[in-house]
Amino acid sequence: MNEYVIETKQLTKVYSEQTAVNAVSLHIKKGQIFGLIGRNGAGKTTIMKMILGLTPVTSGQVNIFGSNIIGQEKKVFPRIGAIIETPGFYPNLTGTENLEIFALLRGTAAPHAVEDALKIVGLPYKDKKLFCKYSLGMKQRLGIANAVLHDPEILILDEPTNGLDPIGIAEVRDLLKKLSAQRGKTILISSHILSEISLLADDIGIIDHGILLEESSMSELKKKNRRYIQLQVSDIPKASLILERQFSIRDYCVKDDHTLQLFDTSADIGQINKTLISQDVTVSSSQLCNDTLEEYFKKITGGEGIA
Amino acid sequence: MLKLIHTEFLKLRRRKFIFIMMLAALVMPFFALLYFRYFGHEGIEPMQFYRISAFGYTLWIVLPFILGILSTVIMYDENRNDMLKQLWIVPVSKMGYFFSKFFIVLIYSVCFMLITAVFSVAFSVLSGYVSFDFNSVLLLFGRSLQTGVLVAFAVLPVVAAAAMSKGYILPVFAALIYNFLGFFTASLNMYLHPLSSTAVIIMPDTSAASQTEPANIPLALLCIGVWGTASVLTAYTALKKRK
Repeated sequence: MNEYVIETKQLTKVYSEQTAVNAVSLHIKKGQIFGLIGRNGAGKTTIMKMILGLTPVTSGQVNIFGSNIIGQEKKVFPRIGAIIETPGFYPNLTGTENLEIFALLRGTAAPHAVEDALKIVGLPYKDKKLFCKYSLGMKQRLGIANAVLHDPEILILDEPTNGLDPIGIAEVRDLLKKLSAQRGKTILISSHILSEISLLADDIGIIDHGILLEESSMSELKKKNRRYIQLQVSDIPKASLILERQFSIRDYCVKDDHTLQLFDTSADIGQINKTLISQDVTVSSSQLCNDTLEEYFKKITGGEGIA
Repeated sequence: MLKLIHTEFLKLRRRKFIFIMMLAALVMPFFALLYFRYFGHEGIEPMQFYRISAFGYTLWIVLPFILGILSTVIMYDENRNDMLKQLWIVPVSKMGYFFSKFFIVLIYSVCFMLITAVFSVAFSVLSGYVSFDFNSVLLLFGRSLQTGVLVAFAVLPVVAAAAMSKGYILPVFAALIYNFLGFFTASLNMYLHPLSSTAVIIMPDTSAASQTEPANIPLALLCIGVWGTASVLTAYTALKKRK
């Protein structure tokens, strides 16, 4: 049986002459939080829209729960909760009234579904405030409440923390982590805020100009971006020999003619410097470095960081 | 479908404009009252009064235009607030969406005509120009009900235009053109336009007189049916494409 809850195969979207999404193949496992990260206009929303059938696919395929989504909307959509772009609601109704409409349309059976959904996102139940008077953050929270209202198995959230204050962002992060860990929800979340995704996602997809540059687990990515000690030395072969023989350090790499990277950050850098100098190896610099996700993003997109 | 219709009613909460538009139901009964008062008639035949108060311009202009505005308002807001995406992923079917809107138009149309009928009776009898005749009142209510239902079907092309358009200018403009076209084509052929066909069904005696031929009700129903079916199909195609 296919282990992926959401799978896209060579998903492509072309608008007249512009390719918005180019052969993207995503693999999202059950119960995982998958972070789709990229700059504004990279194609994140288009991918989500194609997954939800909100925009036609030019070529490729979307499989949800192991089968092609086309023609299966009635069966599959009740198992999905989503926010795409800014969530829209009826401005003449309160938050509770808006959710009651969606609960009715979905045939949500749970009697306290609306109340519970509002409680999850910290909005008051039966409040008299109309949606048109809501702040951006409140609108976003109501959108999340609507997405979780019917207790779906999959959540597809397009930049759900947009407009939220730092405390709100942390609350949403905790909520999503809880939904994934405790209730086994599969979450596909997009963002252009790298730090946000790095704190939340189990797996990550980096997209740029409609192309999926990398799809890997967060732990793999962290390995790639691990901390290291960088040494600038005059004689690489001699320095390597000293590190291996005298300090038993083998987890290192030679970056160029004068640069060494030691991945064992517990090594005594002072002692290493002293030993190298005493054996006629000049050390021009030694520092503790840390490749962040942003640096990695820069590296693989060949451009500037995004947040 | 019932769920959809139920939610359509819930969406109308606090929409004062939609209820204020109902006041237009008083316009023609009031003008009929002024008309007969101006000419100083008394002891008028009830149907003579009702023809002006309920079935004249109400059928041709007032009700179709009000229904056009109503369709625009109930669909434009969902477009403006980017609601359709949320509805499609519930999922709500395109046909279900369109018919739930049409059902609101139908109910509104019937209510509008019943209010017109109530005020026609009130203005005619209370002013003393028409003596109360139970059979005439019954006939008025029966025909008003018929008008409410048929005009709602006759304005399906306008409802479709509202469903197809993201803005409000096009459907309102379409409603205006559509109404006047009905008026003008009636002189050529009563069975070209759904509104004139509605007039044939509601008032076969007077409307067919201009045609010097007996009213052909099946043909009138066919006209409304063809336009209605074409409108539904067009709206469905447009909604499907728009996503």
